[in-house]
Amino acid sequence: MSDLKFSEKGMKKYEWLLTRYPDKQAVLLPALRIAEAEFGELGIPEMKYVADLMGISPARVYGVVTFYTHFRRAGTGTFHIQVCSTLSCALRGSQELADHIAKRLGIEMGETTEDGMFSVSKVECLGSCDTAPMFQLNDNYHENLTLDDVDRIIEDCKKESARGGAR
Amino acid sequence: MSEATNPETPLVNWVLNGQPVQSPAGMTIFEAAKALETTIPNFCYHPGLTIAGNCRICMVESNRSKKPVISCSERIAEGLEIQTESPMAIEARNAVMEFQLINHPLDCPVCDKAGECDLQDYSYDHGPDRSRFDEEKNIRHTKELGPTIDIWGNRCIVCTRCVRFCDEISGTGELCVVERGDRSVVDVFPTVPIDNPLAGNVVDICPVGALISNDFKFEARIWNMRKTDSVCAGCARGCNVEVQSLDGFVKRLVPRENMEVNKWWMCDEGRYDYRYLLADERVTACTKDGEPVEDHDAHETLAHWLQDPGGTLGILVDPYITCEEAFLVEQIASHANNALVGGWKPADGTAQSFPGQFTISGEKAPNRLGVEAVLGKLVFGSQGHALRTALEKGQVSTLIVFAGFPHPDPDDAWVQAIRKAKRRAVFALQAGAWTEGAGLVIPGASPFEKDGTYANEDGRLQRVRSFHAPGDVEWSHDLQRLQAVLRIAGLRPRSLSSSAVFRELADVKKPFHGLSHSTLPATGAPLPGFIPLPVGVEGGSV
Ligand code: SF4
Ligand code: SF4
Ligand code: FES
Ligand code: FES
Repeated sequence: MSDLKFSEKGMKKYEWLLTRYPDKQAVLLPALRIAEAEFGELGIPEMKYVADLMGISPARVYGVVTFYTHFRRAGTGTFHIQVCSTLSCALRGSQELADHIAKRLGIEMGETTEDGMFSVSKVECLGSCDTAPMFQLNDNYHENLTLDDVDRIIEDCKKESARGGAR
Repeated sequence: MSEATNPETPLVNWVLNGQPVQSPAGMTIFEAAKALETTIPNFCYHPGLTIAGNCRICMVESNRSKKPVISCSERIAEGLEIQTESPMAIEARNAVMEFQLINHPLDCPVCDKAGECDLQDYSYDHGPDRSRFDEEKNIRHTKELGPTIDIWGNRCIVCTRCVRFCDEISGTGELCVVERGDRSVVDVFPTVPIDNPLAGNVVDICPVGALISNDFKFEARIWNMRKTDSVCAGCARGCNVEVQSLDGFVKRLVPRENMEVNKWWMCDEGRYDYRYLLADERVTACTKDGEPVEDHDAHETLAHWLQDPGGTLGILVDPYITCEEAFLVEQIASHANNALVGGWKPADGTAQSFPGQFTISGEKAPNRLGVEAVLGKLVFGSQGHALRTALEKGQVSTLIVFAGFPHPDPDDAWVQAIRKAKRRAVFALQAGAWTEGAGLVIPGASPFEKDGTYANEDGRLQRVRSFHAPGDVEWSHDLQRLQAVLRIAGLRPRSLSSSAVFRELADVKKPFHGLSHSTLPATGAPLPGFIPLPVGVEGGSV
């Protein structure tokens, strides 16, 4: 826990952010983004680090991190599939999509595969309604999805993982 | 609210439920209505916390809006017309209640909050009698949030009162709302439990039974308990409390609002400190030379000692006796040819202040100022020294000790000194170093079993009352026992109520002039002419 620290570059960015907002608390979201990029995930030590750095209570950070679905919480698989389940996507078959993914991976929504490779969760509108149904895979959107697309993407992930690529 | 109390604040003309009314500008509809004795339902609003406006149960109809507005954050304005009971307002609240109850477990029969739960009350007023919700209710966590507090997440309505309390009042920020939507619930950071000196207050302000005090869990149903307004004796702040008891056992203490003393809060140290009432060491019967005797025998013996002290009479008081008891002490002393009255008090601790302008006093006893107002401002200072010196020199023949402190503090010098008296009577809460070897030991009452007044560190006189039911003679308090003794000794004609004793006191003691139990406001009153000095300054009064 104690040796966690932003890199020099991360710290510079954080300090620059502090000058950009009238209120320190407002820097929390971008600061968490830096933490996520630098530490890979937001677990207890990472959240604690950000809280101490910003001089706010760890509970506040915890509340913010858990409010959003888009942060990588500790224990999230290498590939995090976030299936949009809001209206446009739902009308265009997101439930079928979600069921298919779950079946292929052998897990339920909100779970992670045993090998830690995949996590899948249902999330609310990702602002890509015009290309429904869609999901977000780590930082990328995959749009106008068919079930075949899903199979292909999952296979690509596995291959990428075999090559040693992470995200 | 400052707007309301400042006489210069301009008044605003508005209409409440058809009645033209005036209120100080700047007030919220909710507060202005409350001041006019119209109560609007509320969950997230709390007078001591910032406005969150998240629960929507306080919606009312306004002539300035097509939709209902939330009265806890909307402010009054010239010409505003508000309906709190119109069909629109009621329908709005009904709708909020229906949503609130969608996932609520409705487990009132096993919920400790039942009987004082806002959700339960509003559910009777506004809730539908059956649910239109066919889905499964969701489940949220039930777990420990800290050493004294559990959360029953299914009951949480996410009003954030508790979160705001920790952010704004205790300043410790342990609580947060995690997740969102129907999964949101209060939690702590995984490695930081809620554990602050004021933590217990979050249980009081939780409008539902989500936050549960471990100490009180499953102890009693609210409506069965006897509720007694009294004052905490944990420190000289003198927080106003309600002592809630069942069958003669204290079940819990909750704070009573007193803006001059404790606002809406109390500290955990005071809140959970009542188990000493049942301590094994508790003195429950009179003893004479170590043998149990009837109360009357003990009183008679003490009366004889007073009639003939055989030399100097010493009386050692503590800051737990009431002003009324102190007054009787003075009567006893005034009848003796040679009397020395001195005081002992527990060592000072450190005062603690919190961002919400709540202070725990460093003085760990309830009534030093009150005792000084009766027995003289030096009673715990030089008078105490004089008594101890006389005791050490073996000059005291008969000694009466008041050892009413909940947590005996083996103050060696005093313990050694009191043993040098030829004979000693101790009014003791607990047996221990102070009672050892005493010729007479008489059960003392705890602060929650006394009837009288205490003066807090600001010199504010407040009523303490025994939580025992009237006629419950098991714990006659020291005032009754002292009067019994004085009657036998022929020093007082009869026993009176503490209110009557107070009247005598108020007649002769200047700081109490003009006061009486019956006219003392529920929030107490400052002793006139009493200037409190900082803790630790000798004779910090008058
Ligand atoms: S635990 Fe109680 S006080 Fe806290 S948010 Fe939930 S309902 Fe409100
Ligand atoms: S601050 Fe003092 S008087 Fe108030 S509850 Fe705590 S111990 Fe009791
Ligand atoms: S509904 Fe799926 S992206 Fe908006
Ligand atoms: S009391 Fe007004 S919104 Fe909660």
